[in-house]
Amino acid sequence: MTTSRDRDQDLNRLLDDDGGEFGTLYRRLPRAEPPRRLDRAVLGNAARAVHGQTPYRHRWVVGFGSVAGVVLAAGIAWHVGQDALRQQSLNESGTGAAVVIPVQPITSTKHRHTTDAMKVDSTALAPMPAEPEPTAKAAKPQIMAPQVRAKSESVPPMPRPTPPPAAPMATPAPFPVAPTQSTNAPPAADAARGRAGDSTRAAPAQTAELREQSAPTRMRGSGAPAPSSSLELRRDMQLAPDDWLAHIRQLLHQDRRQQATESLRLFHATHPQHPLPADLQGLLE
Amino acid sequence: MGDERTDEALMLAYAEGDLIAFETLYRRHRGMLYRFLMRSLRHRADTDELFQETWSRLVAARERYRPDAKFTTWLLQIAHNLVIDRFRRQRPQASPEETETVLRDLDAPESEQPDHALSEFEQRRRLQLALEELPEEQRIAFLLRVEGGLGLDEIGAITGAGRETVKSRLRYALARIRARFSS
Repeated sequence: MTTSRDRDQDLNRLLDDDGGEFGTLYRRLPRAEPPRRLDRAVLGNAARAVHGQTPYRHRWVVGFGSVAGVVLAAGIAWHVGQDALRQQSLNESGTGAAVVIPVQPITSTKHRHTTDAMKVDSTALAPMPAEPEPTAKAAKPQIMAPQVRAKSESVPPMPRPTPPPAAPMATPAPFPVAPTQSTNAPPAADAARGRAGDSTRAAPAQTAELREQSAPTRMRGSGAPAPSSSLELRRDMQLAPDDWLAHIRQLLHQDRRQQATESLRLFHATHPQHPLPADLQGLLE
Repeated sequence: MGDERTDEALMLAYAEGDLIAFETLYRRHRGMLYRFLMRSLRHRADTDELFQETWSRLVAARERYRPDAKFTTWLLQIAHNLVIDRFRRQRPQASPEETETVLRDLDAPESEQPDHALSEFEQRRRLQLALEELPEEQRIAFLLRVEGGLGLDEIGAITGAGRETVKSRLRYALARIRARFSS
């Protein structure tokens, strides 16, 4: 018979850290362990619970990333398209600018016999000073003029270059820029270049802008229409002085006063000793 | 190198997605839980099923875990609830002979000596039979104490009984076991 006192003692021993007599005996019982298949099942379930949670959290990130990728690709494509269109327009404007033959100082005409036709074409004409200036630069074309005339007399007429497609005759040639205006132009051009940012792309536009700025400035004073083509002026240079003057009169008769004025200026620069007819002297004023 | 974190810290880490923490936790308590279930249910298939179910419920409830009580108390609470549900659905329970067969199949300690083994074996067999004969409430209280290492209050929290009731159940359990050894 176990008394109440014995049961309390057994309980107190059981509640000890070692579990008492029966606790020790219990720990000597076979230590059953779960089989490995249960370990795999439990750990797999725990892993699936965690990993199943992760994709749910990342689903928003994946979606956002996909949308961002599409937007980025669309942005790149748009920029590429814009660049292509801009480049195309620049090429077109660049081609247009190329066919407009800039008028170079007459001193450079000495190179025309040694260069190809296009280069000669672009350097054949000398600018006429808009207003007589007592500077050395203004006097220089007049000093060089006899040489040009001598060469033009000794050398056979230049072969006519193939006219550039379409634009040369239709596009008004740039007005010859006086040296004073050339020195004044760069700051404006620089300012325009600074605004444009990309000097490579802005160069043709600046050239055109400079042309538009300089020519109208001069034309505004003379009230003249658009300048004539340099090709026609170069053709005029091939004429004999009297024929040239007759051609100028013809231009006046055709109401092409601006071209007649330019041609007369070029005539006067080329043949400074040739007296100007009284009926044409008014063009130079 | 073992993980020095407490059970509660490991459980909180697993709730944040640390799978290594769960593996450590599982390694610590897998044997204890399995033996508690085995000796409570006395049926290996049921033990396997409820063992897996206990951990599944723990995994499902990981984000609701609060370290207000010991992790083992929480784990054994889940297991105890499953055992009680199983008892209510599965009656009659397995016979003592069936249980003894299952327990005999389990590996015995390797350090047993032949001359001492008979005495040890007889003692274990009597203890096992005594546990089988205990009423469910007394057996569970005894197992929670000797297998889970829980105190009176923790056993009372799991079983829903008061402290004195737990003490009474344990006293009766010990008396029955001692009577088995005296017979």
